[in-house]
Amino acid sequence: MIELQHVTKLYPASSRPALDDVSTEIDKGEFVFLIGSSGSGKSTFLRLLLKEDDPTKGTVTVNGKALNGMSKWQVPKLRRTMGCVFQDFRLLRNRTVAQNVAFALEVINKPQRTIKRVVPEVLEMVGLEGKAERLPGELSGGEQQRVAIARAFVNRPLVLLADEPTGNLDPETSEGIMLLLERINRTGTTVIMATHDYHIVDSMRRRVIELNGGTITRDQSRGVYGVGR
Amino acid sequence: MRVNFVLSEVATGLRRNLTMTVAMILTTAISLGLMGTGLLIAGMISDMKEIYYDKVQVSIFLADDVTDEQRGEIESQLASSDEVASYLYESKDEAYERFQQQFSQQPELVQNTPPDALPESFRVELVNPERYEVIAAEFPNGQNGVDQVRDEGDFLDRLFSLLNGARNATIAVAVVQALAALLLISNTIQLAAFNRRNETNIMRLVGASRWYTQLPFILEAALAGLIGALLAVGGLVLTKVLFVDKTLAGPIKAGIIPPVDWGAIAFISPIIAAAGVGLAGIAAYVTLRLYVRL
Repeated sequence: MIELQHVTKLYPASSRPALDDVSTEIDKGEFVFLIGSSGSGKSTFLRLLLKEDDPTKGTVTVNGKALNGMSKWQVPKLRRTMGCVFQDFRLLRNRTVAQNVAFALEVINKPQRTIKRVVPEVLEMVGLEGKAERLPGELSGGEQQRVAIARAFVNRPLVLLADEPTGNLDPETSEGIMLLLERINRTGTTVIMATHDYHIVDSMRRRVIELNGGTITRDQSRGVYGVGR
Repeated sequence: MRVNFVLSEVATGLRRNLTMTVAMILTTAISLGLMGTGLLIAGMISDMKEIYYDKVQVSIFLADDVTDEQRGEIESQLASSDEVASYLYESKDEAYERFQQQFSQQPELVQNTPPDALPESFRVELVNPERYEVIAAEFPNGQNGVDQVRDEGDFLDRLFSLLNGARNATIAVAVVQALAALLLISNTIQLAAFNRRNETNIMRLVGASRWYTQLPFILEAALAGLIGALLAVGGLVLTKVLFVDKTLAGPIKAGIIPPVDWGAIAFISPIIAAAGVGLAGIAAYVTLRLYVRL
């Protein structure tokens, strides 16, 4: 499903690689936590999967497609099979909740009929029914992240990438977001979540990949955040 | 492609950068207006060449004391020459009439010129205009009733090099102005892309095609180019109505300067519009490729 083989990523301005000979495999439907301190290579890992960057060495394969030789024109197609959620939500402030979700479908040319049907469905799923006409500024942080998740999931991606989705949220709200991500994972969507939140990692007991200085130092199938914490 | 979506993005973009958009449209308009002027002058030059070069290439002015016999001799020599394509005799009266017509805007000049001041002449069209020397040698100045042989082509060459210079200068200014317009378009598009970076970032992540992301910006520039072109055409129309048709009415009527007709403006308008839309669109596309990550 997702495979990295001897992947090294060296940014031009840096002398130390952001990822150093990383190899791993993630199966369809897995839920994976990507942990490690800041600068350990988590974000680079996610960027390579999205083909926002190309690896300096090694190969990345997503959904059976090698990203290395992929032409620029095929990248949008790849990204339609992936959803993204970020710490800072990245919603459009001047559009309503429903418009924010619909935007993701409009710009990939989905028919209006489909949009009208699936947007309310996904808003109900993330628990925002009745808030479709609100602006992001009128919502709490947790609700805004639910909008972002709805937008990432509305096109039914094969993979959902979440870069510290609970980083700006209090523990209680974070728990709600995690329940939502778990639910999405149960529909068969692979979820890869980079996080610093050890409460969440420890309580969920899912696969943990720990990065340290650009190398994988731990890969546990029912892991916790850190040994000896 | 969702037309509504793209168009509303274009409208938002233009409104958000209103001052830049106005500057972009005005420089484009000036540039295109000058380009149109250059094209009109070029058309005028070729019309004038038709008027002048075709009619007269060599004038043989006759002396005041020319005899009928000498005149007949010159005429038969012209009629039998292989170098001469055609010729026309102009009497003193005819020369004066033409003079009156040409300078109808300057009555003092006409009044101060006695009717017999202008010489009679033969206006000669050569088979090959370059062979003026041959004719000049055949009719030496000051002999056999010939006062002077003049190569009108020489004079016209100087006149047209002046006009060509004017045309080239106009086009040069148009090019410089176009460069300014292109830089301004590039700048405006960068600003527009920066203003809409949230939208374009999301579009990139959810897998919108490059065209879908870029098209609003390109259309934004192309629309500004089109408005600029319309203003430029408007400027040309005003120039024709207020300047050419009024100030130059006399010489045009006298046939010295060809008129700028509506056909010429109608002919160059689509060229201007295409240049405006095309250059602006290409400038926007190149800017997006070079400076903006979409």
